[in-house]
Amino acid sequence: MSHLGERVSALVDGELRHAERERALAHLAFCADCRREVESMRALKSRLRSLEGPPMPADLTMSLLRMGEPGDPVPPRERPFPTFGGVPLPGPRSIAPPDNRPRGASGASSRPGRSRRRPAYVAVGVVSAAVALGTLFVVAGQDQGPSVSPPVEVFKQVHKTTAPYGNPPSATP
Amino acid sequence: MRRLPAVLTLALPMAVGLPGAVHAVPDGSENEDTGLSLLRRSAMAARGQPYEGTLVSTSGAVLAVRNSPGTGMTVDRRAADPGTPAGGLLAPSDGMLRALAANYRVVEAPAGSACGRTARVIQALRHDGRPAARYWVDAASGVPLRREVLDGHGRVAMAEAFVDVTIAAPLPLAQSAPLARTALGSGTLTALRARGWSLPSVLPGGFELAHAAENDGYLKLGYSDGVSVVSVFVQRGTLDEERLAGWRSRSRDGNTIWIRDAAGREMIWASGGHVYTVVADAPADVVEAAVRGLPHEAEPGFWQRFARGAHRVLSWVNPFA
Repeated sequence: MSHLGERVSALVDGELRHAERERALAHLAFCADCRREVESMRALKSRLRSLEGPPMPADLTMSLLRMGEPGDPVPPRERPFPTFGGVPLPGPRSIAPPDNRPRGASGASSRPGRSRRRPAYVAVGVVSAAVALGTLFVVAGQDQGPSVSPPVEVFKQVHKTTAPYGNPPSATP
Repeated sequence: MRRLPAVLTLALPMAVGLPGAVHAVPDGSENEDTGLSLLRRSAMAARGQPYEGTLVSTSGAVLAVRNSPGTGMTVDRRAADPGTPAGGLLAPSDGMLRALAANYRVVEAPAGSACGRTARVIQALRHDGRPAARYWVDAASGVPLRREVLDGHGRVAMAEAFVDVTIAAPLPLAQSAPLARTALGSGTLTALRARGWSLPSVLPGGFELAHAAENDGYLKLGYSDGVSVVSVFVQRGTLDEERLAGWRSRSRDGNTIWIRDAAGREMIWASGGHVYTVVADAPADVVEAAVRGLPHEAEPGFWQRFARGAHRVLSWVNPFA
């Protein structure tokens, strides 16, 4: 039998099947090199397991704690914003804190709902910008006065009958 | 039926721009005072002599005119458009005659004929010697018989003339008095300007402001150079272009001008929060030059209007503004 090679790690981890494991152990009985390699691998993994894990971030800890709060997960909003003519408008509920709690079993079905909100936010932004621009244009035109349609026929008669032409002659019916 | 051939007789030379019955151009010996005095006496005869006849105009008006000393002039309204010919040909005001003397050299040309009567001919010449208007005055009575207004190319732009006229025994007319200065009162102009109206006293081409009055929310300004009349009507507000059916727009110096008639004597535009309507009895080139003396602010662009609105909103919230 050739040397164990890559099977050393599998042997140390106990991942070899029974027959392979028997043959590997039989080989180790006669191969000092493979025995040293297996011992080195075991020592390395034992040392790694003895090391402490990294500290958990505080915010991650708090997030995990909130996941354990009592009560059912907050159901997704059916109508996240009031609408006007099908166009969503910002309202008091829109300033509620974001819902970060998991959805549990129904979480998978709520993901499409969250993705549907993105166009709503974009629409609200576009509408707000349009309202702001429209307001500025209306404000800019406030000093222009009312909309005027000149009574041209009246003006033509006035033109003919007033100075500098002088007093018009009398007209008979 | 007798009237139709006479109308055609007038209309044909008007259409082709022929100078009527003028037989010769004036020479240098003509007397300017004689021409103006004759025109003045003609205006007086139009009001003081007994006559009646049919007057036609290039505007399409056909008028039955009758004048009786002491009774006054009557114009048959059924023929429509009684104002312009009666004022322009038969009853020019002292203000128009004074403006005529100020802007033109008024000379008497060789005699001619009009409406089958011997006529004295008067020409109003521009500074370069080209004629701006011609007048035919009945030699016996002084009644005005015909008037032609010419554009800068010497073409007849407007004309009014009797196509048949009956003049009774002419009455002696009083000697014409010197033209009195009938300028607008400065108080009237000051009051109108204090109310925010813009009143140019003079328009290009020698058009003097002869009349200014505020009526029913609009300002009417009347200008004349002695030959032509330009009326300007000013309203506060913005122009409702949606209701200008039948008008065509033209862009000039960033401003949109709306014109309706082919002769360019009716135009509308908006400028600086006001709407200007011009109605003129003048050649198109004269009107074009005259209205350049009125406000023509270019329409604000997108960013200009945006900036103006932003500035106004900021002024509302700025406590130090």
